[in-house]
Amino acid sequence: MEGVLSILTNPYYNQVLTMMGIFLIAALGLHLITGVTGQFSFGHAAFLSIGAYSSALMTIYLHTPFFLNMLVGGLLAALFGILLGIPSMRLTGDYLGITTLGFGEIVRIVFINTKITGGAMGLGGIPKETNIAIVYILVVLTVFSLYRIQNSRFGRALAAIREDEIAAETMGINVYWYKIKAFAVGTFFAGVSGALFAHMMQYLNPSDFGFSRSFDILNFVVLGGLGSIPGTILGTAVLSLAPEFLRFVKEYRMLIYGALMILMMIFRPYGLLGNVDLVRVFRSLRSRGAGKGTVSGDS
Amino acid sequence: MPVLLELDHMTIRFGGLIAVSELNMQVEEGKIGSLIGPNGAGKSTVFNVITGIYTPTRGKVTFKGQNITGLKPYAITSLGIARTFQNIRLFKNLSVLDNVKIGRHCRAGGGIFGALTRHPGIKREEKTIAEKSLSALDLVGLTAKKNEQARNLSYGEQRRLEIARALAAEPVLLLLDEPAAGMNPQEKQTLMQMILNIRQTGVTILLVEHDMKFVMNISDCVDVLDYGCKIASGTPSEVQKDPAVITAYLGKEVG
Repeated sequence: MEGVLSILTNPYYNQVLTMMGIFLIAALGLHLITGVTGQFSFGHAAFLSIGAYSSALMTIYLHTPFFLNMLVGGLLAALFGILLGIPSMRLTGDYLGITTLGFGEIVRIVFINTKITGGAMGLGGIPKETNIAIVYILVVLTVFSLYRIQNSRFGRALAAIREDEIAAETMGINVYWYKIKAFAVGTFFAGVSGALFAHMMQYLNPSDFGFSRSFDILNFVVLGGLGSIPGTILGTAVLSLAPEFLRFVKEYRMLIYGALMILMMIFRPYGLLGNVDLVRVFRSLRSRGAGKGTVSGDS
Repeated sequence: MPVLLELDHMTIRFGGLIAVSELNMQVEEGKIGSLIGPNGAGKSTVFNVITGIYTPTRGKVTFKGQNITGLKPYAITSLGIARTFQNIRLFKNLSVLDNVKIGRHCRAGGGIFGALTRHPGIKREEKTIAEKSLSALDLVGLTAKKNEQARNLSYGEQRRLEIARALAAEPVLLLLDEPAAGMNPQEKQTLMQMILNIRQTGVTILLVEHDMKFVMNISDCVDVLDYGCKIASGTPSEVQKDPAVITAYLGKEVG
């Protein structure tokens, strides 16, 4: 207990865990788009930046309450998600990837060249509203919402699209419209995550939301195992904490990080929890525990 | 018997290739119709046109007196046409039950809001979806496998699951694309009984099938396609005697 408390009060651990929670919300949003619906998005950071800048500007200039600003940030990100989705959801695979990549760059460049966002100088003076409690309450809410979405008529339709678009369409699912809806929900969470980020860092710079950020978030989702909420959580935890734990090797840090990624691709190509049904694993573990001593040689 | 589905001078062209040419065809309500023909005759293309995956170059498709030409597949499904695929297209990584539940998509309405709140209306809807899906699984004898992943089923079971998934949509017209392909004689016998049972529930059926014995035993009427053109039509016994059909299948006698 003491150990847990000291982690929470230690500003360094506190910061690391808060940032992890913030990016987990964004990763869970992308999980719905890429993991559940099977649509590539290489521009997720752009939606974070839309949520971040819009909420920060509201806080600074309109002095509206933080939660309202966060909600507006999420909704604005979702609105742009829909606007991007309308033309690009007709594309699939690589083409969709390239379009979202392009969109990410466009948004970044717009923020660099806009006066109100401080341009390349960045936007400072954002009050600190985010703390670890708020972040993790929202993480729980996000996990809860996504769990319910995945286990519903809507979520089943999204999984059907990932599995086979033609069959999904023939089963009465408006594939195009459902992809846009998935994009809207996923980018909403990105916007919320961006708003939390802005009010945590208290300073925003367009370079925070470049391609490498989008790629990081995609890594969280893919490394954990596409389509699995526990996988996304695990992937985010491992990839956000690994660079911190690897600090002791100093300049070799990124080298080891890269090597870890390559090992992953070789040994767990479907992600850490890819193709693992946790419920089933627990069930079989429990039945194995109960049947100990009576059943042998059966795995 | 009133006509349920009618193709009127339907032509579909892919670039220079005319896949189906000027096809006139009718399926009567409550009947089992079959579409046969050598490989590449355009049978599956006809299914793809009926279900809206392809839009015909010319001609008209009428279902229940309504022109459905050019409608999107999901819209056609909700009007009451469901199908299976020749090269099985299940949602392989989902459970058997979820596959069937997705088949019921067009008969329910829950959206994102419903998913998040799970209000009483949604709970009722989910209950109906589960019940109807289980009864569809029961009809094809897959109830015991409901929690299995679809990809772990045997080939014959996968074919039956496709039928259950299509039935979950409560179709008026069921299109079966080579349902007996790859089945052993015993499985074929079970399948035949299953199709007859489905017809008993008031569903009209249109089959594409290569197994002649199967087709001739089960069909009320047969249409024969060759190179995209209809060469014969009638009851199984009429079609079997038709010289054009014999030529298409066996070739012309030399000399």
